[in-house]
Amino acid sequence: MTNKKIQSGNVILHIVMFFLSLIWLYPYAWLFLASVKPSAEIYTRFLPTRFTLEHFRFILESAERMNRPFIRAFFISLFVSVTVTVCVIITSAIISFALSKYRFKARDGIFNFIIFQMVFPGFMFTIPLYILMRNMHLLNSLAALIVPFIMSGWGIFMMTQSFRGTPNDYIEAAKMDGASDMFIIFRIMLPLNNSVIAIVGLFTFIGVWDNFMWPLIVIQDYYKMPLSVLLASFNHEYGAYIGPVMAGSVIQTLPMVLIFIIFRKAFLQGISMSLK
Amino acid sequence: MSKRIGLAKKEARKGFGISSIYLIYAAIFWGYPFVWLFILLFSKWRFVGSPQFVGFRNITRVLTDPLFWKTVTNVFRFMMYYIPLVLIGALLFAIALNKIKFGKTFVALSFLVANVSSGVAYSIMFSNLFSVNGPINKALNSLFGITIPWFTSPQWAMFSIALIVIWKFIGYYGLILYAGLTAIPKSLYEAAELDGAGSLTKFFRITLPLLNPSIIMVLVLAITLAFGIFTEPYMITGGGPMRSTLTPMMHMITTAFQRMDPTYAATMAVFVAIISFGMIWVIRKTMEREVDLV
Repeated sequence: MTNKKIQSGNVILHIVMFFLSLIWLYPYAWLFLASVKPSAEIYTRFLPTRFTLEHFRFILESAERMNRPFIRAFFISLFVSVTVTVCVIITSAIISFALSKYRFKARDGIFNFIIFQMVFPGFMFTIPLYILMRNMHLLNSLAALIVPFIMSGWGIFMMTQSFRGTPNDYIEAAKMDGASDMFIIFRIMLPLNNSVIAIVGLFTFIGVWDNFMWPLIVIQDYYKMPLSVLLASFNHEYGAYIGPVMAGSVIQTLPMVLIFIIFRKAFLQGISMSLK
Repeated sequence: MSKRIGLAKKEARKGFGISSIYLIYAAIFWGYPFVWLFILLFSKWRFVGSPQFVGFRNITRVLTDPLFWKTVTNVFRFMMYYIPLVLIGALLFAIALNKIKFGKTFVALSFLVANVSSGVAYSIMFSNLFSVNGPINKALNSLFGITIPWFTSPQWAMFSIALIVIWKFIGYYGLILYAGLTAIPKSLYEAAELDGAGSLTKFFRITLPLLNPSIIMVLVLAITLAFGIFTEPYMITGGGPMRSTLTPMMHMITTAFQRMDPTYAATMAVFVAIISFGMIWVIRKTMEREVDLV
């Protein structure tokens, strides 16, 4: 009797959760469908009567003539995100190796300093960092989007934690065979700690791709804007072109969704690990 | 023996040498801005010439600026809607996720994929979904005959922004709570069942107390998010209607780069940081406790 009751309760729970999942997916579904249906149907129908790619064609071709170079912005976003991610992984790996496997006096001090830094919210430094970029004559250049972010205290923190758990025997053995430090870091430590590398890389990539306030402040030139800022400015001035705006939104979101689906395991792990 | 000391010395030199790469980076991109922050706090400057020392004038200005405090109140209004709803929602989500066996991955992923929606695109998406003639209002109208001025009325705008941020973050927070939930030993529940505890007792005496660290974690994340919120109100409402969604970050950016007043903007940023530190400190002080299992 009770067993049956529990089971029927469980069936209802499953149904409710599936229904809610669909509700949670609905905005994405609507966005995607809005980008492939005729303009007249965007607000009137959920499923389109015919599929069309006119909005994508508009945003990728005609927007260029309106001084909104979307293809260019896409590659700028890609370039900036990949560069920052690769830099963060390389610098974090090398510095974390030193912080976890070398013995020296300032080691704990530096590690504690990194933890201390993470307490300060980023927005406190927005204006002073802008002044730094201005004094370095980097405003309105891609360097302003890359240079301040090539190292990450958080990345070093995560990797150091993980590297500490890697037994020293591996390193000793490699040293016996005459391996250099760089060989040990990139050929031994990285493969042994690949899940934390994936987490640091993933969160860095998503953070840079999605960054909006900083590029909005430092980039004025439409031909140097990353996708987020260009899409915002297009929406601001040509918001009436709902179809193309939706197509632009799909183009900006799709890479993150794809990365999420491909690296979902690392993503889930990253969230659970943020607890420690 | 002496060789070993030599090796240790070499190791120490190498270790410090490598770590100092980060120290140099931090000195430039953290130390230098930090020094500037102090200069800005106590001076008047409009991006040209050199800053002029004005003592505590910026600070007294913040204290007596109604617009700044309006933005802070707006953040508190956001938190008033956001925190209870997202926390209870995430808790229910975590508990449900722990219970379902079939299609768990699908449920988890559909809630989490919202989290990677890109700020600008998701703001545009929701401003259309929730527009006065948008699909949500169409559905509400045909079902209940009501039309809600989501982003266009001062009473609704901040609530609507809270709603869409909940859409984005409920899965993320839920997963943090889920990780805490799965770490609770099953034997505790079994022991409680032997003692005849009902499911409510088990929830309030075992689940909730043992989940305390995860709940604090979620609260800290939610508070930090609330004080830094920028993209959604900037994109959807522009701070309106009647400044009901103007946030400190928007106010700071306009002050610094449109009114060319970086010193005042930096002072506001420091105030916002202090207020959020204060809230987090109070939460830690009042909620953090040693969990007694016996």
